[in-house]
Amino acid sequence: MKKHVLIFKILILTLLTSLGFAQSVEVKGRVSGEGGTPIYGANVVVKGSRQGAISDEKGDYRIQVPKGSTLTVSFIGYVAKDVIVGNSSVINVSLAPQSSVLDEVVVTALGIKKEKKALGYSVTEVKGEELTQARTVNLANSLQGRVAGLNIANTATGAGGSARIIIRGNGSISGNNQPLIVVDGTPINNDNLGSAGMWGGGDSGDGISSLNPDEIETITVLKGATASALYGSRASNGVILVTTKGGKANRGIGVEINSNFVGESLLIPTYKDYQYEYGAGNNGIKPTTIAEALTSNSWGSRLDGSSAIQFDGVSRPYSAVRDNQQNFYRVGSTFTNSVALTGATETMTYRLSMNDLNNKSVIPNSGLRRNNFALNVNANLGKNLSIVTNVKYILERTNNRPRLSDSPGSATYAINAMPTSLGIAALEANRYNADGSEKTWSDNIYIQNPYIAAYDWRQEDKKGRIIGVIEPRFNFTDWLFVRGRLGFDNFNYRNLSITPYGTPFQPRGGMNVANRNFTETNTELLLGVNRKFGDTFGINALFGGNLMRQVYQNSNYGGNNFNIPFFYDISNIDPAARNSSENYIEKRINSVYGSAEFSYKNYLFITATARNDWFSTLAAGNNSILYPSVGGSFVLSEAVKMPKAINFLKLRGSWAQAGGDTDPYNLSLYYGLAGAHLGAPLAQINGDRVPNSNLQPLTSTTSEVGFDARLFNNKLGIDFALYTRKTTNDIVGATISNTSGYNSALFNVGQISNRGIELLLTYRVAGNKDFNWDASFNMGYNQSEVVSLYGDLKTLRVDENRTRIAYIHQDVGLPYSQVKGFTYKRSPTGAIVYDSQGYPMQGDLVNFGTGVAPTTLGFNNAFRYKGIGVSFLIDGKFGGVIYSGTNAYANRRGLLNTTLEGRETGIVGVGVNEKGEPNAVKVPAQQYYERLFNIADPFVYSADFLKLRQVIIDYTIPARVFGKSPIKGASISLVGRNLAILMKSTPNIDPESTYNNSNAQGLELAGVPPTRTVGVNLNLKF
Amino acid sequence: MLRKLLVITTLLVSLGACTEDFEKINVNPNTPAAVPIDYLLSQSTLYIPGSAGDPGYKSWRANFIYASTVIQQMSSIEVGFYRGTVYTYQGDLSEAYFVNSYPNSIKNLVNLIVLAKADPKNVNILSMARILRVVEMAILTDLYGDVPYTEAGLGFLNGIFSPKYDAQKDIYADMLKELDEAGKAFNAASYIPKTADFLYAGDLDKWKKAANSLMLRLAMRMQKVDAAAAQTWAKKAIDGGIMASNDDTFAIKFSNTGAGTNSNANSWNLGTGRGIAAGNNIQWAKTFIDAMKTRKDPRLTVISALKNGDRAIAKQRGVPSGTDATGLKSLDETNLDNYSRVAPNMYALENPFFIMTHAEARLLKAEAIERGWATGTAKTEFDAGQAAGVRQLASYSGVVADADVATYAAANPYPAGALDAKMNAIHTEMWLVTGSTLNHIEGWSNWRRTGYPVLTPVNYPGNETNGQIPRRLRYPQGEAGINPNIQEAVTRQGPDLFTTRIWWDK
Repeated sequence: MKKHVLIFKILILTLLTSLGFAQSVEVKGRVSGEGGTPIYGANVVVKGSRQGAISDEKGDYRIQVPKGSTLTVSFIGYVAKDVIVGNSSVINVSLAPQSSVLDEVVVTALGIKKEKKALGYSVTEVKGEELTQARTVNLANSLQGRVAGLNIANTATGAGGSARIIIRGNGSISGNNQPLIVVDGTPINNDNLGSAGMWGGGDSGDGISSLNPDEIETITVLKGATASALYGSRASNGVILVTTKGGKANRGIGVEINSNFVGESLLIPTYKDYQYEYGAGNNGIKPTTIAEALTSNSWGSRLDGSSAIQFDGVSRPYSAVRDNQQNFYRVGSTFTNSVALTGATETMTYRLSMNDLNNKSVIPNSGLRRNNFALNVNANLGKNLSIVTNVKYILERTNNRPRLSDSPGSATYAINAMPTSLGIAALEANRYNADGSEKTWSDNIYIQNPYIAAYDWRQEDKKGRIIGVIEPRFNFTDWLFVRGRLGFDNFNYRNLSITPYGTPFQPRGGMNVANRNFTETNTELLLGVNRKFGDTFGINALFGGNLMRQVYQNSNYGGNNFNIPFFYDISNIDPAARNSSENYIEKRINSVYGSAEFSYKNYLFITATARNDWFSTLAAGNNSILYPSVGGSFVLSEAVKMPKAINFLKLRGSWAQAGGDTDPYNLSLYYGLAGAHLGAPLAQINGDRVPNSNLQPLTSTTSEVGFDARLFNNKLGIDFALYTRKTTNDIVGATISNTSGYNSALFNVGQISNRGIELLLTYRVAGNKDFNWDASFNMGYNQSEVVSLYGDLKTLRVDENRTRIAYIHQDVGLPYSQVKGFTYKRSPTGAIVYDSQGYPMQGDLVNFGTGVAPTTLGFNNAFRYKGIGVSFLIDGKFGGVIYSGTNAYANRRGLLNTTLEGRETGIVGVGVNEKGEPNAVKVPAQQYYERLFNIADPFVYSADFLKLRQVIIDYTIPARVFGKSPIKGASISLVGRNLAILMKSTPNIDPESTYNNSNAQGLELAGVPPTRTVGVNLNLKF
Repeated sequence: MLRKLLVITTLLVSLGACTEDFEKINVNPNTPAAVPIDYLLSQSTLYIPGSAGDPGYKSWRANFIYASTVIQQMSSIEVGFYRGTVYTYQGDLSEAYFVNSYPNSIKNLVNLIVLAKADPKNVNILSMARILRVVEMAILTDLYGDVPYTEAGLGFLNGIFSPKYDAQKDIYADMLKELDEAGKAFNAASYIPKTADFLYAGDLDKWKKAANSLMLRLAMRMQKVDAAAAQTWAKKAIDGGIMASNDDTFAIKFSNTGAGTNSNANSWNLGTGRGIAAGNNIQWAKTFIDAMKTRKDPRLTVISALKNGDRAIAKQRGVPSGTDATGLKSLDETNLDNYSRVAPNMYALENPFFIMTHAEARLLKAEAIERGWATGTAKTEFDAGQAAGVRQLASYSGVVADADVATYAAANPYPAGALDAKMNAIHTEMWLVTGSTLNHIEGWSNWRRTGYPVLTPVNYPGNETNGQIPRRLRYPQGEAGINPNIQEAVTRQGPDLFTTRIWWDK
């Protein structure tokens, strides 16, 4: 490794010294558009270099260029033009407006810009400005509904949580299914730093969430392995390429200021499907002692407003309290301010930006503060050498991330469990016993007082992160270049969590401090050829290599049981009860890759790529894999004459393979040292997963065909893709019976297939000088199937809900992520079977459907009248199901309105007894509904939804208003996100609610309720 | 330029191929691939009462929430949580012992047995591991019935991911054989672990007596279903030599460092870790306190106190089984603080964790003699067992005066006459011994076999048993979807219910 870095440095030096300086001349001129109108802000660049200038308000430019070079003049919406610098020192250029998509350029793998028409696969680009106005704290959520086939699930945590991004379905049962995130050419870590499971916990966010939308120029979504084949194993699930803004030539320094303020409140402020007729208590009895009042059940008597004792010994009216949620959750806010400076000198352009985000969650005492700093410098060190340097520093501090799923330390769980007649004000006022310990309000010591959960339980983390790229490039000629790139991503993360002294189930409390240091470096060298032979043939080829090194260094210390009450420091825990650990985890991938694109007459393009990866995580002999890809594109409308209605038609197709490896240290069994007892050291088998020394890389194969058409004077655009994706040799960490001694085992035998379509329709409904109306509709449909598992295995468990009667399985022959649960026991005729005591019996474990919605869609409309724009986005998902733990518990506690039936009279369940006779045994309502807890059916719902995801009203203040002031432009917008759920079928909960971003989707429990945000965005340019 | 291109190309290819150090990189530097065998013996032992992280996990759920309340040694008005009091089911509570044992104690014991077998000098460690595996497997099969046994814990060693469920009959046969072989194999000439042995610090004679005493326990368990085998094994056990004094009691030693690992699991739950005694979550049951009072049991003041610490006998009062918060209102005393709960000396973190006491061995021997399976005088054994049970509380810093032991013995003499009366006397003592040493799981097993003392079940709304005392715990619901072999067990044993009787409980 070191050796290679040295060689790399020598090479760069060699290149530097081999520079030649040609004679240069000054060229000036004017750039104009239709009818000779001057174009302000056009780019004038010396072709093959990064040397350039920008035209001013009159369209004038001035540039120093080597004699004989070519200038490329471009402006958004116009066809770029190349002009050769001859003897004349004045070159006026008139640009033609872009009439077709022929010249669209997109960023593709390895940061190479390509003409879209040459691509054999589907890519989607999202512009930075679409992300900045109605911004989300986690950038990934801004992509919801925007890209056909992109399936985003965000954890129900409020701000700062992680998101799950899936492109073209899930390819792996237990491996990573999320795309690789690449920022300015360097892959960044998108690991989830902590998540909730069946036993609770908090979500500590992911990597993409740290990015600042103000810095983003474009996001390109490379779908599937074809597009991303050059990135190798880590891109088998696609790539999200983030390109940040670079410097722009300005007169002086350009300043851009953006301020954004949004308020946030509950979208579902009251549980509409709770009952408010019966109060706290059990067996139909109103509590008359504290012991009876200590309950989370609402099986008491009819609420009559009479006086009833509560957990704290105070008597309050026995009446319904409907506003506990509104009273506990506050109005949250996010205030984001950013400043960017851009400028240029003769030899370089630069952009410096700073950002401050201050978020207050709807949960009291919870919020996030983030500062982003970014510096992009693009320097031309002479004619042939340029260096791009991008450095970002991100500092994030999060206070009290909410705990999800199971009850300990969770405010949301506690609020969901509160009896109908208990007001949150009583819990706020009476949190502590006389000795300062938590006063329990129910008979379950694991349910916290929500205010204790919010204020006394502490969860603080801080992450400092540097992402940087240094990219020198040397042009040997105008068709041959070499590019080096050193990319790094480093973060330091510290998390402090405290279980307070006096917690009922852990009377002396505890604490833990976790430190994580992560570094990934990528050292890349790339050789590129881009040559045309006459007007007919062209070749565009790359050959490169990359060394990837990833190191995690984690340390933890903590312990349970403080000696001095309420003093929270490690020194206050008995030395023997303190634990500490240190972890070093390293992984490397070495790669060599190449790609070649051949073009014929500007309408036929063939691209082939190959990449070989070597993994450190697999055994020698199994650790190398080569993946090829081939793709083609045929622009039919250029090759043959088309009917007038068809302005553009491109057909494309591609096939690719990508592979994947496993985590480090998965090949053999290790022991863990676990302290000592009575002087004897302790050790046990480490981990609960059976290792496998024979693991091989998995392979993901993708095929795609599609077309891209523009019709009727480019009014209607259709982009259609049909794909299949098959994963073989999937490395599966599958749940096995823990009677084997282990909870999971690593297999190498899974096969999963995904097939789907993606459709993007764009239509310019109206368009003239003053009024534009653009509508776009995108949809993705992905049909997944688990084709085979290990040996004869037909089903694999991947997750379980805290209620322990609903699971996520992968079943052979069925779509990915099956929600499985126990159903009613039924007679041969289908009637529900009741036991001799009259209670419904638990039957078999059955599938209810997939937890991953196969259909996703988005519908966007943008209207613009002069300076005013209005746009709205509706998105939805269809075809998935969700098991709601929240509702299962609410049923058991007598909170659901469906538990009203039979409260006074008792219930005779409709069905038969075990002998097949009609059931005639009457049972009390509480026990009947409690027994329903063991059956999943009543709590599995369709997760279909339609949401009004986003509305933006913006107004660009005309330039004339500012006259001679330094302000060059200003716009103001009103923004709203998650404004309404237009359609859902899940009582009480958000159909999108999930407590983690793992592969097991379709389980819900005690997420933070969904919120809507409304605010204002102000943008000023100087 | 061609030369430059060649250099770059060569460089690129060499980048990828440089993988010599990959195998070294992929060796976990944080965890060893092998450890001294003593380390594994010590950890495996600690996994029987509990496990790191939450040492009280299975003790709380199986020993207190279910076993102690089912046989009315303890009770709780929190009937929605301490479900054994009213015979209702909650999956995560019922399955706790099962799901915690296999991946911890069983896996490590099975692995330790394989490692110890590989080297003849480790024969003593091998025997200890075999005995400890029997201890844990016996609890598992007594709680659930047919369970994975021969194929359990072999996920890595043999690649068995879905172990079959063995019939309890076969499990018992093998466990008895294991105890016999392991006990005989101890060899003073081989290596003897001392600090790593938390039971007897390397005293092999005591280990042999423990193996024989456990053999007697298992033999007696089969009394109803296979009297012949029960007799054979009981005789073998007694002939081999069972525990003879309280020094021989089979208990894991703990220390009070504050760490969960070093703490007695029961103490952890009652005190420091979960605080369920002081927190009014669980109290002694009325049945248990009343029995002690009636019998003038000197253990009462050792095991029991009110919330304020008052140990006065007159003030001790147990919670009637089946009482919920509403039921409490109609009792004479409505303040839970004034009910008896486990006294603080009983949950010092360093208290020993009892697997089998000397008292139990002697009481079982008394029964064996009565049944004609062993020679000797039943009364002698009964008296010895009765006194040993009382004196065992010295382990809880509860020194009982000799005079009090004598008074107790005089008040509760070994009856003459019918076997039933004798059995009642013996197994009421067993119930008191297991209750006062917090070994409720064993208490429940012994009660199921013998039916003594006679308990009056409760019939709470919504109970799973139609008002009968549960006969077993239910399997983890999680097994249904991932281990098809459970179906065979259910077919063989009967529906997976609290009321289904396991093999020896007929």
